[in-house]
Amino acid sequence: MANYHYSEEPTNPYRHNERQNIIMHLSHWITWPRFILALTLTFFLTGILFPFYWMVSSSFKTYAEIGGRRPVYIPSALRWEAYRELFDPANPSFQNFGINILNSIKVSIPTAIVAVILATFGAYAVARLRFRGKNILLNSILLIYLFPGVLLIIPLFAMIAQIGAHIGFDVQDNLPVLIVTYLAQTLPVALYMLANYFRTIPSEVEQAGLIDGCSHMGVIWRITLPLAIPALVSVAIYTFMIAWNEFLYAFVFLNDRALFTMPIKINTIFNDPSPRPHVVMAASTIMTLPVVFLFLALEKYLEQGLTAGGVKG
Amino acid sequence: MAELINKRIGKPHFQSLRARETRLAWSLISPTALIVFGLVVFPAIFSIWISFHDIRLHNLNDVFHAPFVGWENYSKVLQDFAFKFQGWQSWGAAVTSIVYSFTATLLTLIVGLIAALILNQPFKGRGLARAIFLIPYVAPIVSVAFVWRWILDPRASGVLNDVLIQIGAIDLPKAYLATRGLALLLIIIFEAWRYFPFAMLMILARLQAVDNTLYEAADVDGANTWSKFWYITLPELQYVLGAIFLLRLMWTFNKFDDIFLLTGGGFGTKVLPVLTYEFSFRLFDFGRGAAAAMILLAILIIFMLIYVSTVMKNVEEA
Repeated sequence: MANYHYSEEPTNPYRHNERQNIIMHLSHWITWPRFILALTLTFFLTGILFPFYWMVSSSFKTYAEIGGRRPVYIPSALRWEAYRELFDPANPSFQNFGINILNSIKVSIPTAIVAVILATFGAYAVARLRFRGKNILLNSILLIYLFPGVLLIIPLFAMIAQIGAHIGFDVQDNLPVLIVTYLAQTLPVALYMLANYFRTIPSEVEQAGLIDGCSHMGVIWRITLPLAIPALVSVAIYTFMIAWNEFLYAFVFLNDRALFTMPIKINTIFNDPSPRPHVVMAASTIMTLPVVFLFLALEKYLEQGLTAGGVKG
Repeated sequence: MAELINKRIGKPHFQSLRARETRLAWSLISPTALIVFGLVVFPAIFSIWISFHDIRLHNLNDVFHAPFVGWENYSKVLQDFAFKFQGWQSWGAAVTSIVYSFTATLLTLIVGLIAALILNQPFKGRGLARAIFLIPYVAPIVSVAFVWRWILDPRASGVLNDVLIQIGAIDLPKAYLATRGLALLLIIIFEAWRYFPFAMLMILARLQAVDNTLYEAADVDGANTWSKFWYITLPELQYVLGAIFLLRLMWTFNKFDDIFLLTGGGFGTKVLPVLTYEFSFRLFDFGRGAAAAMILLAILIIFMLIYVSTVMKNVEEA
C-alpha cells in the first residue's frame, strides 16, 4: 500500500492542479485531437437534431407564432392548434388526418406481413437448397437496385391498367394494388436479409429434424423460424418502414383524398394555397416519431440490415 | 423424363432427391420470384417497348394497339429544352443530373467517412451518438424534406434567414430553394445530410476490421495521426469506399422524391427522374416519359461499365 502511494505521486504531474480548479483541469484534459473531436461531434449532433427539434417544436406553435416576423425558437407553451386542425371535426379547416394514418397502417402492415412470409420461404430455398438457376435468379432479383422507381412506374401503370380492365378493378385508388407494388420493392431486400441470417443458423440442427422425419415445411416451421425471430422482426420493421415512408407510387396511384396515405396527405397540406407550416410539421411529427422510436428501440437488430442494403434509398 | 433418369439410377419408385430438392426450392421461391419478375423485371423490359410507341391517357387501357413511332420519343426528349445543355445558365436535365449525382455522392462519402472516424474513437455516450447519427436515414423523406423547406423558408421567419440576418451576413431574406445554383447546392447538401449514415455504417464496419498491429507498428515508427490516416486507414478503406460510391451514385442518380419535394424540379434542379415524371404524369405522354427513363438508364449503365472496368479493377489490383 505504502509502496503504491510512493510510486503514483511522481507519475501524475497534474494531480496537484486538478484539485485547484476546474478550468485548469479542463485545460489539461483538452488536447487538440479531443477538441476537434468534440467540435465535430457537436456540429454533427446539432445538424442532425435541429431539424427534428424544429419539426416537433413548430408543431406546437400557433399560427401567429409561425407567421411572425422572426422565428420563435422556444414555444412559450404547448399549443395544440395544429393537431386540432388535423383531428378535430369541429375545426373550420379540419383535415381528417386520422383516416390517412389508418390508410398508411392499412398499406404498411399487410406489406410487412406478406413480405416476411414470402421472403421466409424464398430465403430458406436460397440458403439451404441447391437448385439450378439459383444464381441467375438471385442476380436478376438484385436488378431492382438498378432501376429507378420512375422508370418502373410507367409500365406498371400501363400493365395494371390493362389487367384491371380485363378483371375489373381500377389501378388508381386501390390500396391492394399499392401493397403489391410495395411488395415488389421490399421482397428482394427481405429475401437477402433473411437468407443471410438463415446461413448463420447451423444446418446440422435442421438436418437432425429432417432425419427425425420432419418434412421441409415442418423444419422451417419448428426449427428455422423460432431461431430466426430477431431477423424476422427486423425484416418486418424494414418493410413496414419502406411502405410507411413511400411517396412516389402512392402519389401516382392515389387520387381520392379518402385513400391518401400520410406522405401524400402531408404533401397536399403543404401545397395548400394558404401555407400552414405548423400543420405540416404536426402531421410530419406524427408520421416520423413512431418510425424513429421503433428504430432506436431496436437499433441493435436493425443496424445490420441497413448495411445489407436494407433501405434502398 | 424424370422416370427415365430414375430407372437408370435404379430407383424406380422414388423421384431422385436432387429433383425433389429442386422442385421444393422452386415452389418455395416462386411467389417471390413471380412478384419481382412480374413487377420489376418485366415492366423494365416493357418500358423499352413503351418508349417506341405513342401512349397517352386515352389509349392507356389498350397499350398493345398503340401506334409505333420509332425513335420519335427519343428525339423529342433529346431536343427538349429541359433536357439539352444550353450553356452555363441553363444546364438541362442530363448535365444537371450528372453534376448533382457525382457531387452529392462524393459529399455523402466524405461526410460519412468523417462521421465513421468520429464514432471509431472511444468516448462516453458513443452508442447514443451512433443511434442519433442514423436518424436522418430512417426518417420519412416527406417529413425531412418539408422540415428543410421550412428551415429554408424565404420569409424572414425562416430559421436560416433569421440566423444569417442576425449575424449580419445578409440584409434581406433570401429564397434559397428558388435561386438558381443555390438550390442545386442545397439539394446536394440535403442528400449528404440524409444519406451519410449509410456510408458511415459501411465504413465503420470496415474500420473495426482493420488490423490494430498496423497502427501499433506505425506508432513505433513515430507516425503522426495524419500519416496513419493517409497511409493505413485510407488504403484499408479503398475497396469499401469504391463500393459505396457505386451504390450511392446509382441511387442518387435515380432519386426522385427528394428533389421533387424540395424544389419540384425548378430553379436549375430538374434532374432526369423529375423530367421523366413530368413527361409521364404532367403531359401524360408515357412514351416520351419511358424514352427519358431509358436515356437515364443508358447513362447509368455506361457510367457503371466505365467505373467497374477502371476504378474497381485498380482497387482490386492494389
